[in-house]
Amino acid sequence: MADAVSALAVGWPETRADARAKAEGREPYAADLYPEGVLWAGAVRPGARLGIAHGRIQRIGTAAAEALPGVLKVLTAKDVPGTNRQGIVHKDMPVLADGKIRYVGDPVALVIATSREELEEAIRLVEVDIEPLPAVYDPDTALADGAPKVHEERAGNILAAAGIRVGGGADALAQCDAVVEGVFETPVQAHGFLETENGVACREADGSLTITASTQAPFRDRLEIGHALGVPFEHIRVIAPCLGGGFGGKDGATVQCLLALAALNTGGRPVKMQWSREENLLAGYRRHACRIEYRLGAMRDGRLHAVHCRLVYDTGAYAHLGGEVMALGMEHAGGPYRIPHVRIEGKCVYTNNPVAGAMRAFGVAQATFAFESMMDVLAAKLGADPLELRRQNALRPGDTNCAGVVLENSVGIGGCLELIAGHPHWTGRAAWKAAAPPGKRRGVGLASVFNAAGYGANVRDAAIAKVELTADGRILVYNAVADMGQGNASAFVQMAGHILAQDASRVEVRQPDTAAAYPSGSSSASRTTFTFGNALIAACTQLKARLINRAGLLLFVDDDTALELVPGKVVHAPSRRETALAQLASFMRPEERCCLGEFVAPLCRDTAGAGNGFFVGFPHVIFSYGAHLARVEADLATGAITAVDYVAATDGGRVINPVMFEQQVHGGVAQGLGYALMEDLATRQGQVLATDFASYPMPGALDLPDIVSLACESEERTGPFGMKGIGEVAMNGPLPAVANALADACGVRLWRAPLTPERVWQALDQAAGQARESAA
Amino acid sequence: MTRFHAAHSLTEALALLHEETDTRPMAGGTDILVRMRRSPPAVPLTLIGIEGVPELQGIREEPSWLSIGAATPFAAIAASPLIAAHAPLLQDAARAVGAPAIRNMATLGGNLCTASPAGDSLPPLYVLDAEVELASKAGRRRMAVSDFILGPGETQLEPGEILCRVLVPHAPPIARCQFEKVGRRRSLAIAVASFAGLLRVDGAGRIAGARFAFGSVGPAAVTVPEAEALLRGQLAVQPDPAAVERAVLAVCATVRPIDDLRASASYRRALAGNLLRRFLSPPSSPGLNAATGHASHG
Ligand SMILES: Cc1cc2nc3c(=O)[nH]c(=O)nc-3n(C[C@H](O)[C@H](O)[C@H](O)COP(=O)(O)OP(=O)(O)OC[C@H]3O[C@@H](n4cnc5c(N)ncnc54)[C@H](O)[C@@H]3O)c2cc1C
Repeated sequence: MADAVSALAVGWPETRADARAKAEGREPYAADLYPEGVLWAGAVRPGARLGIAHGRIQRIGTAAAEALPGVLKVLTAKDVPGTNRQGIVHKDMPVLADGKIRYVGDPVALVIATSREELEEAIRLVEVDIEPLPAVYDPDTALADGAPKVHEERAGNILAAAGIRVGGGADALAQCDAVVEGVFETPVQAHGFLETENGVACREADGSLTITASTQAPFRDRLEIGHALGVPFEHIRVIAPCLGGGFGGKDGATVQCLLALAALNTGGRPVKMQWSREENLLAGYRRHACRIEYRLGAMRDGRLHAVHCRLVYDTGAYAHLGGEVMALGMEHAGGPYRIPHVRIEGKCVYTNNPVAGAMRAFGVAQATFAFESMMDVLAAKLGADPLELRRQNALRPGDTNCAGVVLENSVGIGGCLELIAGHPHWTGRAAWKAAAPPGKRRGVGLASVFNAAGYGANVRDAAIAKVELTADGRILVYNAVADMGQGNASAFVQMAGHILAQDASRVEVRQPDTAAAYPSGSSSASRTTFTFGNALIAACTQLKARLINRAGLLLFVDDDTALELVPGKVVHAPSRRETALAQLASFMRPEERCCLGEFVAPLCRDTAGAGNGFFVGFPHVIFSYGAHLARVEADLATGAITAVDYVAATDGGRVINPVMFEQQVHGGVAQGLGYALMEDLATRQGQVLATDFASYPMPGALDLPDIVSLACESEERTGPFGMKGIGEVAMNGPLPAVANALADACGVRLWRAPLTPERVWQALDQAAGQARESAA
Repeated sequence: MTRFHAAHSLTEALALLHEETDTRPMAGGTDILVRMRRSPPAVPLTLIGIEGVPELQGIREEPSWLSIGAATPFAAIAASPLIAAHAPLLQDAARAVGAPAIRNMATLGGNLCTASPAGDSLPPLYVLDAEVELASKAGRRRMAVSDFILGPGETQLEPGEILCRVLVPHAPPIARCQFEKVGRRRSLAIAVASFAGLLRVDGAGRIAGARFAFGSVGPAAVTVPEAEALLRGQLAVQPDPAAVERAVLAVCATVRPIDDLRASASYRRALAGNLLRRFLSPPSSPGLNAATGHASHG
């Protein structure tokens, strides 16, 4: 009986809309596409092979490669028709390097061949002569007077420099009863998604380009490709199927411009590009390494009084979103605390290292390590309980945060800390620590976290949703923000089903296609479900009203309140009459069956002058919050840290789907533990040391503890159904929580991440040496 | 193009190895295929699949030894009651290899022929005095595992020769043994350092024979006879701490670790000493089992 099925409901753990197709291997990813007659394109990146990160291109010998059977073309910068420059905010990255290479992964040629094997052979045969140039491999060197320039037009290699000042700034440190300080270093982290950068492109008979790619930003891709290649963007169609992971690494051009360039040269044959894991680690974007100098001051009673910190981000050879990453890190550098006097200085510096860009918890994960480590150091200095100190200073609605923003939206950090305070892992910590086995030490560490949602000021943060009643009476949602696996498309299905009272079998979602959906920004910045969800609510509400109205026409009912949408139909209970949605659809014209909804995210334009030097993306008004607890065991013989248990309390506003909420928290904590314990995509002289997942370890199931996720539901009045984005916030906690737990366990503090066994062992060894000395 | 022939018997495998040039045996392929992808061979290779050769499979108890077919995958070694009874050290090492999918493919013979300083089976086989049996068209020969392995990637295997069996000789009972592996994570990790140790005791509970071998701290598994000798006569449950420290020092002085992406030489050296110290600490301490890391996660 149709009535027995229940409509999807927001707040319930509905099965993910993509679960079955993904479990059965049917969900089509871009990487699954092999159109008839497909050609292969691949980039020649000579820097790694020649061991040169910065150098002038003297000659590109393509003849040997072109002579190979199966090779169609070898293209170089002179074959690029447009500006040959890509980039999201700053267009500084060539599609194919012209003049010089600025890092080891810079592509100098694009080969098109009929098979993958021939492609690889041809790539090896392209001869490139490069004259090495003096290079800069770290921000200090890059900032020094007379340092070699990565970009001629960028004096001092500075991509961005900005400052925040609230109250009396750094001078107020002098008034503090206790001041603590530290210098922190965070590593480069790889996104480590399963599906490497890839796509397929084709030039259609009408001359337009169709590109299906693993991308987080199909609409922006059109603009980037258009700019780089001189193709009007309306002649470019981008399709973004489900992604096998993104985490920020597919926000911005990876394969897009190269593929489009290839497709302009194949006479209409489709062409595919798929990076290997090696290429991903060489040329893919990555998390910025960062150095943070931090000073935090408080009054005797524990009130935070002043903070002064300097953050220097290494953005590598090109801008990507480096300036914005820095800005967001700075905006969070004071922590989710009330601090009357703030001075934060940031620099984002070009070097000849691989390109750093967007990654989950965008600049914030770095800053969180510093401020949450400092909070524990401060607690120790004041003789305060680390949880109490955090509770006492936690932001509340109406407070001004460290970026000078008065908080008018939901602020749940206090509630998250309460959940941790009451958790048995916290209340029972003394007994647990005391039960440490011989040769081991146990400790419990905390971290307060927060993460802004949305693009921030000076960028239009908007979405346009389309929902359709199909001819056969089902609901079709036109998703416009890519689903990288975080489940936003499923959330949209759930929201549409909830509003239109339809069950899972009657709601479908179509993944982003610039020819079918509407510009709605990127899948990023914890904005995806928030911004598009709000637009979708508007579209669904309109469609609902329209369906009720049409049903009223059909059933001769003038009282809307007596008409009810239920799965598959509209019923008029008083007269026991009904009309199936399929029937309603047949009474409507195609354009009547579609509704559009729009939404523009709230913005803050006034921070009373707190910030200077920011270009875009500062400040934000909506934040998710969290409080994390890690229980760790340190092995004194090896220095290895085991994360034994983990608790994450998260304020993401109202929960749309408890299971998907938990999945985001679990994933964020897992990726955060990798950042805390082992991940480090290090370089030497600009050369990437890890080449694959054997040399770049990420945590596996055995490395991860049970992760308890607790929701602290605030009500975000601007959010769809009261929610806020939580894609990033959980990523921030593990590094400081584990560092604090290690300090609690062994009395040693690590200032440099990841906290590898070797570094822990060194710190233990040093501490033991000092203890011996002072005993002697 | 790489070619592949599956052999169905040892005779066929040896014949195929001879018939063509540039042939290589392939068992699980978990090393050779990775290597070929990383650095494609200059001339195309012909791979002779030996994982289906019955003579190279299986674990059998024979009068003088436990015989393990070279193409036996680690998953089988990890699950075998015979191995549990006769060579628990090797079983713990087998459980520490890779992850389940790798253990289903990766073979003991492949691990030895790869001769990586980090090969997990090496330290246990050294302390168990295991031997290898090699076959070629010319016949068979036997030698100690520690003689077979010459250095990183180097063995006594001649072209056309196949490693058939690994033989673990029956020996006096072992009072206590432990395998421990330290990697950068708990699965799919190459050892930063590994340790296999065993103690044999006399009627009075004194150490009659101690054997240790360390992985990833030298060109092959490293044994330290001097440290072993230092412990002779000590009470197994509570050796004299001074003797333990002397043995630890001997280990630290003997190992020859290198710096690489995973760890520094100085850390590895200290680790080798610490693993020995932990092994020699009272066995009743509950920390020991947990400390074996993923050997106990199998
Ligand atoms: C993801 C991953 C994780 C891994 N983790 C570990 C780990 O934790 N510990 C560890 O020790 N190793 C590890 N390895 C390495 C590898 O799995 C082992 O060394 C394994 O034992 C190799 O066995 P195989 O049967 O796959 O060898 P193959 O790749 O088939 O062969 C390896 C070499 O030995 C030769 N060979 C194989 N068998 C014979 C024979 N019977 N006679 C003569 N020559 C032979 C081959 O010609 C080749 O040169 C890992 C590998 C991968 C890919």
